[in-house]
Amino acid sequence: MAQGKNRRVLKELLHLPMSYFLMAAFAAFGLALGIYRLVVGLGPTTNLSDAYPWGLWILYDVFFIPFSAGAFMISAVTHIYDKEEYHVIARPVVLAGFLGYLFVVLVLLMDLGRWHRFYNVLVPWYWNPHSFMFEVSMCVTVYTGILVMEIAPSILERLNWEKPLRFLRIATVVIAGAGIVLSSLHQSSVGSLFLLMRHKLHALWWTPQLPLFFFTSAAFSGLSMAIFVAVVSFKAFGKRLKLDLLSDLAKIVFIMLGLYLALKVTDLAINGELSLMFSEGWLSFLFAAEMLLGVIAPMFIFGNREMRQSNSGLFQGSGLVLLGLGLNRVNVALLGLQAPAGADYFPHWIEMVISLAAIVAGVLIFGLAARFLPIFQDAEEVEAERSPSDSRSKEKGWSQLPQPGTVDTT
Amino acid sequence: MDRRDFLKLSGAGLGGLLVGGARTARAKAAWNGKALLYDATMCTGCRACQMACKRENDMPAETGGSELYEKPSNLSASTRTLIKVAEDEQSGEWSFIKQQCMHCLHPACVSACPVGAFQQTEHGAIVYRSERCIGCRYCMVACPFNVPKFDWDKSLPYIEKCDLCVDRLEEGLPPACADVCPTGAITFGDRDSLIAEAERRISNSPDTYVNRIYGKDELGGTSMLYLSSVPFDKLGLPELDSEPVTELSEAIATYGTPSVALSVTSLLGGLYYWFSNHEEESESEATVDQKEEA
Repeated sequence: MAQGKNRRVLKELLHLPMSYFLMAAFAAFGLALGIYRLVVGLGPTTNLSDAYPWGLWILYDVFFIPFSAGAFMISAVTHIYDKEEYHVIARPVVLAGFLGYLFVVLVLLMDLGRWHRFYNVLVPWYWNPHSFMFEVSMCVTVYTGILVMEIAPSILERLNWEKPLRFLRIATVVIAGAGIVLSSLHQSSVGSLFLLMRHKLHALWWTPQLPLFFFTSAAFSGLSMAIFVAVVSFKAFGKRLKLDLLSDLAKIVFIMLGLYLALKVTDLAINGELSLMFSEGWLSFLFAAEMLLGVIAPMFIFGNREMRQSNSGLFQGSGLVLLGLGLNRVNVALLGLQAPAGADYFPHWIEMVISLAAIVAGVLIFGLAARFLPIFQDAEEVEAERSPSDSRSKEKGWSQLPQPGTVDTT
Repeated sequence: MDRRDFLKLSGAGLGGLLVGGARTARAKAAWNGKALLYDATMCTGCRACQMACKRENDMPAETGGSELYEKPSNLSASTRTLIKVAEDEQSGEWSFIKQQCMHCLHPACVSACPVGAFQQTEHGAIVYRSERCIGCRYCMVACPFNVPKFDWDKSLPYIEKCDLCVDRLEEGLPPACADVCPTGAITFGDRDSLIAEAERRISNSPDTYVNRIYGKDELGGTSMLYLSSVPFDKLGLPELDSEPVTELSEAIATYGTPSVALSVTSLLGGLYYWFSNHEEESESEATVDQKEEA
């Protein structure tokens, strides 16, 4: 019987759309380049220099860490405020968050000059508790582990492994709680990395509030990522999605964006730096772009009930928030940092291909998982909602009894 | 950007109060380490210090930079100290300037490194413990003087920077650059006495010197001290305040982190408890899975 199952999986794999094979090929190319980079070093494979020690790969990480915050925001909402309709999107969002983190770790490894000693971060007598890089590394490591436990039920259900599943069900609240605590620390400590650069980071971005701003922006970006992933993936996999649920989230994003905007302006005002919004030329333009595109425009979209309840409004609003987040992180980690005169940085093609391959690999694994694992299991219950007989839909999304996945039923 | 504003805004009550405490604890009396005093008015730009540094650290020669006055034009993985020439365009005055690690009293690199690869020795030298380094380059980005450099062409590179010839200090010898300087432009000694010496030179010839010792107060003080006849910002030394860059970051790491962890944990616990109770109270809202659990 197991053999028959395997054969079915194999058959399904071979009949995947062409796009999967193209993505796999590109990811493999990225992997090959990654190995090449690890062998020959950063010099030949990147355009990093003593003037620009940090480049595209750091940007990748400071963007995808808050992007992946969707996972903790959704697990916070589902576990604390046990609103069952959120469970529908919880699995796809947590999966996307897990994949986001997985590739953050891999790209971070690419960026480490002495990657073969990465485990030094885990050696207790080397620890420097004053260092936010230490805090970030610890949080990434532990949080990835927690996401593994959050994502494990999908895999264990597929394999019908009852014992670990039972344990995970009992521990689920603790796991989710630990994830939320770690995530709060983690998101803010990415901002705290730049606290040391009081003189190097432009005053439009440097403030003692950096941890607070990074945390807040990670929270609304995480929710936007949840909306984005839900809209896109449900569409891509032909699932029906109740939009009320997403429009609730969009409303929360709207409130958080408003809070962020108010905090940002207040902070500049208190430091007497409001005029910097206009006086700094290119940097003022970048700041304006980040706030207009990523905060104010999505506030207009999510503030409008009709837009909030339409697929396209949700897609555009959440897309803009993520774009603005990207711009903000680029500004803080690269463009807003003072650079020595005469030095320039534009990523090497290998840096770009590896970053892109990491994203493509994430999409590919997400696609495969959605086909072979019970990821959209609850979503189908939404489809079948009209028959009210199914009381199981009220059960926690994480603790679903093993059911045949989408593929198996055919 | 007053710390009090930070307190008010973040409202992180307990964590915030402790930030203030950390600041006073850090306000040390005069540092009693070793230091170097570079008097730019006495430097002839012979670059003997540069050569001695290369010999001491067994580093290859570098080409590039302006042929006559400086070579190369930037510190690098194989150049830990460098004589550069700087000109004040307004007055037309020019001066040599020696670059190397400033050996801050409150070093950003020591604070930044996740694995403690930088250490402040009892002499006040900031040394690199290469076996710990993971190559994240946070030290390079964090350093206010852009001193740490990376050996980009190696496949598994190390960070490179001046270590104040810490091995020579152990033997009671001065750093190689100070030892070899033929004009006395580089003096090695106790930081206190070098500051007194610099003040003496300024008061003896007030017309020669800018009335300031660069490094005495910058970022809470550095072990590299400068005297010059040309304003320091013209020499490429950044204009900095006297507050250490490490204070805020370290206070938030030490007190903010546990405060956030504690408050988020208790907030979560509280919310969870409240929602569970709330659901039990209102019968109609009681969820099915709770019944199942019961």
